Amino acid sequence: MKIAIFTDGPNLTAKVAYRIGTARWLLLIDEDSGKLEAVPDPVVTHAQGAGVQAIALAINRGAQVILAGHFNAVMARQFEAGGVEIRSGFKGTAADALQEYQKGLEKLNAGGAPLEVALLDRSAIVEAVASAGRQFNTLIPVLVGIVLWIGLFNAFMTKAWLMKLFSGRAVPDTFWGACFGSIFTGNPINSYVIGGELLKHGVSLTAVTAFLMTWVTVGLVQLPAETAALGKRFGLLRNGLSFLLAMPVAFLTVMILDGVKRWFS
Amino acid sequence: MNNNKRQSNAVKRLFSRSLFFPLATLVLYGAVAALAPEKALFALKNSLNVLLQMMIPLFLIFILMVAINRFLNPEKVAKHLGKGSGVQAMLLSAAAGIISAGPIYAWYPLLKDLREKGAAHSLIAVFLYNRSVKPFLLPIMIAYFGWIYVAILTLMTVLASFAVGYVINVFLGGTLKRTLSDNPSTPV
Repeated sequence: MKIAIFTDGPNLTAKVAYRIGTARWLLLIDEDSGKLEAVPDPVVTHAQGAGVQAIALAINRGAQVILAGHFNAVMARQFEAGGVEIRSGFKGTAADALQEYQKGLEKLNAGGAPLEVALLDRSAIVEAVASAGRQFNTLIPVLVGIVLWIGLFNAFMTKAWLMKLFSGRAVPDTFWGACFGSIFTGNPINSYVIGGELLKHGVSLTAVTAFLMTWVTVGLVQLPAETAALGKRFGLLRNGLSFLLAMPVAFLTVMILDGVKRWFS
Repeated sequence: MNNNKRQSNAVKRLFSRSLFFPLATLVLYGAVAALAPEKALFALKNSLNVLLQMMIPLFLIFILMVAINRFLNPEKVAKHLGKGSGVQAMLLSAAAGIISAGPIYAWYPLLKDLREKGAAHSLIAVFLYNRSVKPFLLPIMIAYFGWIYVAILTLMTVLASFAVGYVINVFLGGTLKRTLSDNPSTPV
């Protein structure tokens, strides 16, 4: 059986490439003969699909098993359906990866790593912290902007003006809450901050709940992208249903909450 | 252009886009300060108070983000989306939606791919609906609304997602029993 490993060097001491699309070498190890073949520059392009092309090269050269640092699970299933085994989550040298695979110590399945290994992996924790930092980099500026808007809102918005829209009547208020949530979009954290401020201004919890529900489940802004990816009927039906459902869910949530509070008191 | 440079540029673009909104808001503050300085000062103080109240929940969010990033990734989530059958498939899709992270635009190509490989419309709808449940954002949600409300709303959201999935299944066809893992090449 021939095993392919994508690495940054031409021998088994080379490191396994984290992404196939960035590998500089393809190592082909024939388990039966023990022969090692090193193919330079298996990735001909850095455009999207480079990893798939590199895998196609490995398969053309007779590989039945491919070991990688990371590989898209959906794509892996596609190749596995064609009889090629793809295992990812390998780190360290090609020799380590080969040994791990051969011993069957790891039951990796497209991106997985056993918990006992994962818990002790310092580099993975550093990567998780860095990734959270990147997520915060995109989340915090918008959140700060929202909070600054809330400051302006609190400075200029009078209760009388707000009550023109949210009149205190349950059904229209909830409807408007659902409408606002449908128009705006973004990280749910922003909807919590806005919803919390609306509550402080006396807007009903049902209206705020409908707002929170539709903020993520209905997306007029991203509707074109959703219909392009999943079809017009699906996009319209899903968004429409989510909008309609937000109102009864809001009422039910507040009713249950009131019931629970009464129960505890 | 090498990959690192391209990635770095992409991050810069994303960051500058996300910075545009707060910077534009600050410009607006400047305009307000020129016209009504006392209102601008009140707004700024109010905003700072809100930010200060959010510090502890934000710290908890960061910790949860690290934990989720460490143990989950889109590939792992995608593995469960569209698997199983019937109620099990619904539950797995709901769980995948809850633990999924990142902007929705990043998920559309993957969902399209799964759909083309046979994942039922209903399961994708359940996944999308449950994206509104964000475990790592719970600290801030609880800080604003209280844990009882958050628990009830979370439960209601998951139940509502099943209702949406069911109705979509009725209108758009496809069967809950036929799934990606059963038959990867046949569209429903």
